[in-house]
Formats: sequence, structure tokens, C-alpha cells
Amino acid sequence: MNIQFKKGVLELCVLSMLERKVCYGYELVNEISKSISISEGTIYPLLRRLKSEEFVTTYLQESQEGPPRKYHKLTALGRKKEGELKKEWFTFAKDVNNFLKGSGKNE
Amino acid sequence: MNKKEFLGRLSELIKDIPEEEKKDILFDYEEHFRIGLEKGRKEEEIAASLGDPKVIAKQSRASCILKEAEKTTSVNNLMRAIFAAVGLGFFNLVIVLGPAMGLIGILVALFASAFAITISGVAILFGTILGPLFVFDIYIPLTSIVSIPLGIGLTALGLLSIIGALYLTKFFYKLSIGYLKMNLQIITNRRNTR
Repeated sequence: MNIQFKKGVLELCVLSMLERKVCYGYELVNEISKSISISEGTIYPLLRRLKSEEFVTTYLQESQEGPPRKYHKLTALGRKKEGELKKEWFTFAKDVNNFLKGSGKNE
Repeated sequence: MNKKEFLGRLSELIKDIPEEEKKDILFDYEEHFRIGLEKGRKEEEIAASLGDPKVIAKQSRASCILKEAEKTTSVNNLMRAIFAAVGLGFFNLVIVLGPAMGLIGILVALFASAFAITISGVAILFGTILGPLFVFDIYIPLTSIVSIPLGIGLTALGLLSIIGALYLTKFFYKLSIGYLKMNLQIITNRRNTR
């Protein structure tokens, strides 16, 4: 997929994933990289930014398999942001689709 | 690259940020490796899919240093933030360093003129009053009726300009932080998709 298309959408994907469930970092990276090819390491700086902007909080929780894991949870502010971004994205995608279909007919 | 090499390189590249922040960053990647290994992946494979530690370090450093500059106002912190942002790529060399140089130029010019006005005011004032007492002749082509108020006026104007320039510096500082924050968001999103 084109780099320009993916630009900026990653934040929405992370927020949307966290809207569905509370995740630890690996889980999040793994799920997103299944659908979108990304450099996995850069999700963590993004998560840190979302945390410093108070869209996300983190807490440690014991796991059965070993040491505690860091879980990421959406805040009320993050939930609101997710809704806004998603709406923006759908409007944008619809407009582009309509445009592409329209320009196809004119040719 | 294995786990130890990856974490070692990353830790070396972010050594100048506060210890706590650094530990926090390394913790995330250590966890990532640990869980990846539990899922049966190889260290080298995990390191490769994480990407270049340099890219990760640049992003982490830039946002961390910017946070510091926002918390503690100092020219040094702002400079570090600007250079960390410039380090994120050629694109930033133009859109960060350009405006930064412009703003610094404006401030230097303002301070220089404010000081010049103040000094000229003081010089006229004292020249008029003390001039007759000196052995050397200080030539002021004005009568003292004009030059004393002029001296006081210029001194006051100069001092006000200095205060004004200080406020403007503060305003520019906040403006720069805001700009760098926005810039970091765009850049991080660009980088993430590479």
C-alpha cells in the first residue's frame, strides 16, 4: 500500500484497537501489523505520545506466563478522540470513493 | 541483531534523556522481546521487525526533550528540542531550522535596538548634565532644555522596548513549543509508516 495512504492513519488504528479492548504492547503491535505493514518498533513511541496527551493510561498486571505486562487502556478523552478521528476517516474515505467513481464515469 | 544488541544500541542512542524515561522506553522493548520469545519467535526475527533502533531513538528523544522544554523554560532546552526535531530528517531541516533562525534573528535585532536606544538616552542625559564638568568637551548640538527631556524619554523608551522584547521572547518560546509538538505529530506519523 502507498506510504501516503498510511500516513496518519496509524494513530486511528491504535486508538480503535484500544477502543475494542485493553491491550499490552505486543498484542497491539501484532494485531495491527497483521493488517498494515509497519515498522513495529515505532508503535511504542506513538503509544507514549498518546499517553502523554492523556488519551491512554497504562498499568501493570501479572500474567500467567511470567513477569507483569504493561496494559494500555483508553481514557474518556481517548474515546472521544477515537470517535472524532473515525468519523473524519469515514467521511474522507466516502468522499474519495465518490470522487473516484464520478471521475470514472466522465472518461 | 539479537535482543542484547538491539537493547544495547537503543539504550546508547537515548542515553542523554532522563533516567526514568529511558528505563520506561527500554522496558517496553524488553517486554516486546520477552513475549515474542514466549510465542516462539527468534530474537533476530523480532529485532528485524521492530526496525532500526536509530529511528526509534530519534522519535523517543525528540518527544522526551520537547516535554522537558515545556516543563522547564530555558533557552538550552528549547535549542535541544529544535535540534532533536531537526535530526528527524531533511524535511525538518527546512521547516524547523528555517523559522527558528528567523525568530532568533528578529529577537537579536530587537534586543540590540532596545539596548541602543537606552544607551543613547543615558548618554544624552548624562552628557548634558555632566558635560560641563569634564575637561573634554562633549558636543551635544542641543540646548539642555531639549536634551534633558529627550535623554529621559529615550531611556524610558529603551527600557520599555527591552521589557517588550522579553515578553516577545516568552511568547516565541511558547509558540515554538506548540509548533514543535505539531511537527512531531506529523513526523512521527510519517515515520511510522516506513
